[in-house]
Amino acid sequence: MINRIIRQIQRYKGWFGGGAALCIFLGLYTGLLASPPDYYQGELVRIMYVHVPLAHTSTLAYSVLFGGSIWYLWKRDPLVDNMCQASASICALFTTLALITGSIWAKPTWNTWWTWDPRLVSFTVLLLILGGYLMLRRLVDDPMRGGRYAAILAIVGGIDLPIIKFSVEWWRTLHQPMSFSTRGVSISDDILIPLTLMSLGCWLLFAYMVMVRTQILYLTDLLHAKKGRLLSQTHFSQTTP
Amino acid sequence: MTGLYTRWALILGATLLLGFLTYQHYQQHLSTISVGTLLGSSPATQPVRIQGMVKSGTLKGDMEQGQATFEFVDGASSLAVVYQGPPLENIRELKTLVLIGRWDSQAQVFRAQETALINNFGFVAAAYLISVLALGWMVFAMSQRVMVLFKEIKESKLYEPEAGSLGNKE
Repeated sequence: MINRIIRQIQRYKGWFGGGAALCIFLGLYTGLLASPPDYYQGELVRIMYVHVPLAHTSTLAYSVLFGGSIWYLWKRDPLVDNMCQASASICALFTTLALITGSIWAKPTWNTWWTWDPRLVSFTVLLLILGGYLMLRRLVDDPMRGGRYAAILAIVGGIDLPIIKFSVEWWRTLHQPMSFSTRGVSISDDILIPLTLMSLGCWLLFAYMVMVRTQILYLTDLLHAKKGRLLSQTHFSQTTP
Repeated sequence: MTGLYTRWALILGATLLLGFLTYQHYQQHLSTISVGTLLGSSPATQPVRIQGMVKSGTLKGDMEQGQATFEFVDGASSLAVVYQGPPLENIRELKTLVLIGRWDSQAQVFRAQETALINNFGFVAAAYLISVLALGWMVFAMSQRVMVLFKEIKESKLYEPEAGSLGNKE
């Protein structure tokens, strides 16, 4: 079923890419030019319009990886495995960028590039889990076995997601608390509009990137399989008297 | 391949245009000048943003009413400031800040109506450039890789209909 859904969604890949480009351009325009500066942070608040969407998207990407890994262990669908691999590498990119932009924002506001804050540490742990996931896939010779081990690691690593989300409430932290919660939205509309546009743009971009990366993995496998078949056919025709 | 490069040329053009508009906005509305530059230049009729520090022992007036006078220094240059505007919550002696107002050449004072925080725009530019360049480059490289794979499959005469089953060629 999931296999069919993925194939159906792949048909609309271009719409996801176009939507992402449009939302990101509108988000950049409103974030850089139309939104006002913050009372306390001044112009530095504009870093939020890239940092927060990147961080949100990386947790979304890991959620996709987590769900996909459970499905793969259950159904052993190679297309879902490809999608998990694609999600992991793109999640690693978004997580790295979220950490870099967060560090750039921390320097002028907290006066340090890095601090051992629970949110920062749990996010770095996410990057390490993703590094482990991608390395595991490369290190195990049998791709099926590698996929299985990596899926188990992704499921175990899923414990980091609630820690990231609630770290700002569970521990005393420098990081600001959640702006979106069941208690409501605690930011003004001027800031909310570019933030929403950028978040939507990043989610669509993530979906688009996963589709393209899944397609690359599929085509690479197909090419290898076909080349292997051709080689064995050639070898067979040469050795047969 | 041509379609891919055309699309990316459009995206690059739009990004450069946005970058240019942002730079222009920064130059017109956010860039500051030093006290020395203001005193050295011809009297400006347009509001200007000057950056400097409130000189110790010179701050007088009613901050809650938004009225104050003080000396504003920047290195060796200094000028007298008459502030009249919104209540000043974050002003104190030895504080470095940005004043927005006009130079009154007859009274030889700077008439400020607003204050702003000093921002290092390098941090904002760095965060945006790193994110946009990294994501843009990654998406471009991935799109190009799909094209190369399709070409490779076709050129090596291994093409079969299933190659197109995961989305169409871009």
